[in-house]
Amino acid sequence: MPEWDKILSNPEKFKKWKEAAVFLDKNIKCFLEFDPEKGIKLSGTGAPADRPETEPADKPLSGIPFAVKDNIAVKSFKLTCGSKILSNFVSPYTATAVTKLQNNGAVVIGKTNLDEFGMGSSTENSAFSPTHNPWDVKRVPGGSSGGSAAAVAAGLVPFALGSDTGGSIRQPASFCGVYGLKPTYGSVSRFGLVAYASSLEVIGIISKTVSMLKNVFNVMKGEDPLDHSSLPAEEKTPAGKTAKIGLPKELKSIELYPSVRKTLDSTIRNYKQMGYAISEISLPTLEYVVSAYYVIATAEASANLARFDGIRYGERDFSAENPEELMLSSRNRGFGKEVKLRILLGTYVLRSGFQEQYYLRAQKIRTAIRKDLQKAFESVDAVLLPVYPRPAFKPGSKEMDPFSQKLADIFTSTANLAGIPAVSFPAAVEEGLPVGMQLLAPPFAEKLLFSMCRDYEKVFPSPNPPDNYFNRSI
Amino acid sequence: MFQSFVGLEIHIHLLTKTKVFCGCKAEFGDEPNTNICPVCMGYPGVLPALNEKAIEMAYLVAYALNCKLNPMAVFERKNYFYPDLPKNYQISQFRSPVGTNGFIDLKYRNIKKRVKIREVHLEEDAGKMIHAGDISLLDFNRTGTPLLEIVTMPDLEVGEEAELFLQNFRRMVRYLDVCDGNMEEGSLRCDANISVNLRGKGLGKKVEIKNLNSFKFVRKALNYEIGRQTEIIERGGSIAQETRLWNENRDVTESMRIKESENDYRYFPDPDLPPFRPDDLFITNIKNRIVEMPEKRRKRFIEEYGLTGLQADFICEEKERADFFENTIKLGADPENTALWLASDVKKMLNRYSTALKGSRLTETRFFELLNLLKEKRIHGKIAKQVLEVVFKEDKSPVDIIREKGWEQITDRTKLSAVIEKVLKENSAAVQAIRSGDNKPLGFLVGEVMKTTSGRADPGIVHDILKEKLSLTFIHIISMGGAITGELTDDGTVVPGNPDIIIKQVEQKTGFSKKIRLEEISISAILSEEITPDDWSSLIFRVADLLNSQDTSGIVITHGTDTLAYTASLLFWLFPQPLIPIIFTAAFSPFTEKTAEKTSNKMSRSNAIINLSSSIEEAAHLSPGVYIYLDDRILSPLNLKFEKAAPGGFRNWNLKQPVFAGKPVKNVSQELFSRENILKKLKTAVNNTFLVKTFAGMRGDILIKMMDSGITNFILETYDTGTANLSESPYSLKKAFSTGRERGVRFFCTSQQETTIDFSRYITSRELWKEGAIPMGSLTAESVYTRILACYILAESEEELINLMEDTGAYTY
Ligand SMILES: [Zn+2]
Repeated sequence: MPEWDKILSNPEKFKKWKEAAVFLDKNIKCFLEFDPEKGIKLSGTGAPADRPETEPADKPLSGIPFAVKDNIAVKSFKLTCGSKILSNFVSPYTATAVTKLQNNGAVVIGKTNLDEFGMGSSTENSAFSPTHNPWDVKRVPGGSSGGSAAAVAAGLVPFALGSDTGGSIRQPASFCGVYGLKPTYGSVSRFGLVAYASSLEVIGIISKTVSMLKNVFNVMKGEDPLDHSSLPAEEKTPAGKTAKIGLPKELKSIELYPSVRKTLDSTIRNYKQMGYAISEISLPTLEYVVSAYYVIATAEASANLARFDGIRYGERDFSAENPEELMLSSRNRGFGKEVKLRILLGTYVLRSGFQEQYYLRAQKIRTAIRKDLQKAFESVDAVLLPVYPRPAFKPGSKEMDPFSQKLADIFTSTANLAGIPAVSFPAAVEEGLPVGMQLLAPPFAEKLLFSMCRDYEKVFPSPNPPDNYFNRSI
Repeated sequence: MFQSFVGLEIHIHLLTKTKVFCGCKAEFGDEPNTNICPVCMGYPGVLPALNEKAIEMAYLVAYALNCKLNPMAVFERKNYFYPDLPKNYQISQFRSPVGTNGFIDLKYRNIKKRVKIREVHLEEDAGKMIHAGDISLLDFNRTGTPLLEIVTMPDLEVGEEAELFLQNFRRMVRYLDVCDGNMEEGSLRCDANISVNLRGKGLGKKVEIKNLNSFKFVRKALNYEIGRQTEIIERGGSIAQETRLWNENRDVTESMRIKESENDYRYFPDPDLPPFRPDDLFITNIKNRIVEMPEKRRKRFIEEYGLTGLQADFICEEKERADFFENTIKLGADPENTALWLASDVKKMLNRYSTALKGSRLTETRFFELLNLLKEKRIHGKIAKQVLEVVFKEDKSPVDIIREKGWEQITDRTKLSAVIEKVLKENSAAVQAIRSGDNKPLGFLVGEVMKTTSGRADPGIVHDILKEKLSLTFIHIISMGGAITGELTDDGTVVPGNPDIIIKQVEQKTGFSKKIRLEEISISAILSEEITPDDWSSLIFRVADLLNSQDTSGIVITHGTDTLAYTASLLFWLFPQPLIPIIFTAAFSPFTEKTAEKTSNKMSRSNAIINLSSSIEEAAHLSPGVYIYLDDRILSPLNLKFEKAAPGGFRNWNLKQPVFAGKPVKNVSQELFSRENILKKLKTAVNNTFLVKTFAGMRGDILIKMMDSGITNFILETYDTGTANLSESPYSLKKAFSTGRERGVRFFCTSQQETTIDFSRYITSRELWKEGAIPMGSLTAESVYTRILACYILAESEEELINLMEDTGAYTY
């Protein structure tokens, strides 16, 4: 393990690390902007009001570099969201979560690639370039936080921020063999996260180790006056070794890729060996989750993305004859296909007279899944699920077309609809690819998730891809 | 018969320091794009944070409008693309607004109505787009400023009513200190929707009118639109559902866009803002913050302090003024005087120094001090005005001022007696004249006393002492003609006679001789049916003069029977609180020596002498007021009807109890009663007013011809409780009303019956009201006519004239 807190301050180490990062990124293309010098200059420069009056002498993240998904605002860095419409947009402000990390000594070194506005599962929908999986550059790193997962997996940073709307942190973490936390909705401020589906998404963490995951979360969490949907993060005491794990019986009838099925079984075995009790639970609404998720997500997206009109910022069509044409043309040129598809879908489901059929029905399903989980958590402490039905796939539509990619969100989007915390942890390497598993817990029970991941980490730590910075730094 | 439905959508800018969802200054008059931030500019990644002050104000207004307060107010996104709307959705409220189901009570043209409020919701305002040549410019300073929308049900019917509603509403929000209510600057904006349909058929096609940025435009645009739509339906056409704009240059509404279907705003709850759930403390705070609303306060001031409707209107127009008034009362000042001073001299001073009452040099304490000095007679009125000026000029208290300037009034009777004694000695000619019955030099003597004391003598005491020293108390008889002072010629006709004859008879009968003064008001040539504005102005001027002179203990006016109801009510309107009794009397046949001798038939004997003698006797002991004395009966001057069959030939209509004194139509200074002034105004009033009795088959176009010749006030004696023909035919008043409205002609309604006008009973009377008729309650046509005359004399503007006419509440017995 490199001494991450020394890399930025030691000129020799810094040079070596930077060279390695630039070299590795040529193959995996995880960064949209890589500028550690700028980050160093900005470190600790959060809004004065947010900075504690007397900073602790020993800041928990002092000198630690990290990357930020490019849909989270960092002042002076670009904020492209992987979209042409924001290709030259530089953020005038910093997201609350990032400010908190900066105030605790961490340093932003760059912005990572993503599916445009977080809409995708492969980082192929970036307007700039796809990102490649460090385990096999012919495969996708997952998405939408593919850039962040790839950067952590390649060992370029100890952690990176991502956003998780329906699995966008956990799925790429699983594809890349690292940890990915989707915190409880409201526990981390969304201020500064470019909204895709406001009621579902949350800023989360991708990291190489569980302790980093935990440290970063503890710094980022908490109520933010700038985000009225944020909540004070009340901690739930973990049940420890005696924790009971629930396994939905519906998993039996869902088709899983062999390596995923195998890993699920081995994970159950491993946890049993560690002394965890496994019991069967039922999530009858699981089959409706994807439909409900896409209705709500696209509905919110249709409004959230309306602001990108080329008037106040972003790419603008200068040949437009009048303001209306300018808006139309800027949006037509600026958005990619997947984004347009989702805006159209969202606009469709929100039409008056159709809300009962789509939007309101989706909200009912959302309530039902939340109740299902509440009921499950009466008998178990955490729920075990795969992250994705298959490991990292190849780009293009041959293995996974966009529609099957959406259907595959079934295990991840459940946590988003219910607003509960979920973590993806590396559970095995099969056929040369890492496979992640997922644990879900009641609201604000992140501590339990950390402790369960820590237990698993002891028997199976995050595996290293063939080519990475650790190899090179040795 | 058509029915119109008008609903209003009012937007007010809340007076918060910052915008509704970010910390920017909520000021949009500044340099363009200076009060903006990533949040209100809709930058990527930002979130709205609800301004607590704004939501408080929203609940406060909802509470004041009697709304049901929502325990869970939800913010929703209203989606539409427009360049001045940064997020391309507006945060507003839809399914669960701050307040619902409220109301405002309204009284227009003397008809009360409850206007229902559908909802009150909080939202953010958009920016401003300006087109300059071939470029468009955007100013986002206004973006995100808090806007409260108030939506009424379509309960209003005519433009004037909508205007009144808005004025009331504006006063309310100013009282609550949540909006400055400035329509010109756009801090209060109004859109209206209107539909017209055949009566009973419910709502018609809805037309929206925008760009109504003044009260006047609201009224004009709505009335124009009612007319336009009615015409279309009458012609058999149909109304297009559309949005129209008011064109203030052409005074018409113009089509802006035809609405094929409603815009689909795709409302859905904003996930960035959790529903606002007011807790008990929040609601308690709202209830504590509520202040008495202007309408309620106005009503209370009338009841509690005895103000007239107009006085209360003026005092309650501004909260600070009403507070000032009430604070002064609490210190012990007399309400009526306080109101009077506020509306006249204080107002004058505030204008002169262009300052507001709040923060001016006139504090409540100083004001009370001034009124108290006046009350305690330490200064008199003229000095008080000077003191007030000094308060504003030198910022001192009235007590200090009169001490420093030595302006304290001389009230010491011995001191004043000495001065008066000296003046009388030096002016023996004037004294002689007065003693021999000519009281004209009295004013001169008073003037001399004032001169000697440099204006500091208490005028009341001076009068008292003078009266005493000159033994001056008289009953004045003013002869206005009629049979009572007429002469019966040999052929049996009655001609104007010599009043001296009857006075001699009365002197013999009563023994009052030395105490009676007789004067004639240019009457000798006429009988009462020939009365003109000149006669009335002479009478009014003379009465005013006598009331001022203080050497009179009573006034008896002899008058003809035909026009008595007019003259008596006119004097009542003008002198409703005389300090002495004013008694009208009349007779059906003149006294002649001949009839006295020859007629033994009791019925045909003249009642002239008995009526006059008795009136003089009554004048000596009746309490102050205006009376009619006829054949041992005392009647009220108000609602007097000449009905020969009635005992004494007269009767009062619609009075539960006789009325001899009442509230002044308006408090005025006596200076107004100059002869020329009265005559001029009376002539205008008489020239502009026409009394019409509706009758079957009456043609409306005749009234239009009268308007052509300058008639602006019609008194319409309607059938029964207030009905008239308003059908679509030449034999109805329909056309006359619509023409009248265009020309600003007023229709005051009375009944041909002894009944109270009630416009709520028949559809035809409702229609009358809608077309602009003003019900005059239980007043008779004669009393309404003279009220018009009185109001012309007293009012200083057209607007005030109307207000004074409608302020009949106190006289509707
Ligand atoms: Zn702002």
